[in-house]
Amino acid sequence: MTALPAPMPAPALRLPDNDVKPVDLAGYRGKVVLVNFWATWCPPCRKEFPSLARVRKRFKPTEFEVLAVNVGEDPDMVFSFTGTTEFPVLFDRDSKAMGAWPVKGLPTTFLVDRQGRLALKAVGGREFDDPEIVAIIKQLLDS
Amino acid sequence: MNIRLLIVCALLGSASLFVRAEDGPIWTHRAAQGAVVLTANPLGSESRIAFYGARGFPEATILPYAQACGFSFGMQNGSANKLTTRLADWHAVSADGKHVALRLPEAWDMEWVKSGVSEAARIAFRWAQFQSENTFEPGDWIMGMATLEVPPSGTFRLVARYRDDKGNHEIALDKLSCAKD
Repeated sequence: MTALPAPMPAPALRLPDNDVKPVDLAGYRGKVVLVNFWATWCPPCRKEFPSLARVRKRFKPTEFEVLAVNVGEDPDMVFSFTGTTEFPVLFDRDSKAMGAWPVKGLPTTFLVDRQGRLALKAVGGREFDDPEIVAIIKQLLDS
Repeated sequence: MNIRLLIVCALLGSASLFVRAEDGPIWTHRAAQGAVVLTANPLGSESRIAFYGARGFPEATILPYAQACGFSFGMQNGSANKLTTRLADWHAVSADGKHVALRLPEAWDMEWVKSGVSEAARIAFRWAQFQSENTFEPGDWIMGMATLEVPPSGTFRLVARYRDDKGNHEIALDKLSCAKD
């Protein structure tokens, strides 16, 4: 993942989850949050998706969370791929939320630090439980 | 996994239902320039009609796009430098030396606006394309579809330009051809 030149406040992100319950990134202030923009039709998104659950398990839920933001798809189609997840899957049906983020393609992933700032970004598929990324998250948690 | 999902995933990952490798889709064409890798698969019309039909495009509307000579491209920056691409700088060269430009996603989107395509369908289209301008940080990997303005006759070479702090570079994919269906 690439560090952003100067950490900037994360744009607003308030979207419904699978149960149409609104989830707000601002509610996770104090935690490091991995925000992943994705879609089921995108092969690298599908490949990296299981690693979101794996990396989440590497940290305490009080310190780290994953928010997977599906772009433009209906929840039924998404659920047929994800099944039940331990982390929130949010639905950006009109991609307006994503438009406010510096995203130019899918998948794009951000690490938001404890202060709610965009700290790192990755475009394209990753394995998020890769030791290098786990170390980056640890660093963010310790900073 | 439902059948709709199978179709759409096969579309971006490969031209047909190829066997998928553990580490990603199998590509029919691949070229590298140092640590920068470009891959491509030709896209048939039926798979594109199915893909965009599932996202709200009437068949008659998406037909010109589906019948255009199109590819799924993947580009990966394995170098230590940031690089940028502009689709307007890419072109095909046919066997007789003619240059053919790629049609930018924005040009297609203007058609969709004229045809009254829903915003949701246009969004799905936009994000499924190889973007007109991309920035690749080290390690970034971007996939997307793109079409040529006209289908070159026979096989052709696709020349993809990118820029990094050392200047302009080219990667060429040889012996490409449009999908037959």
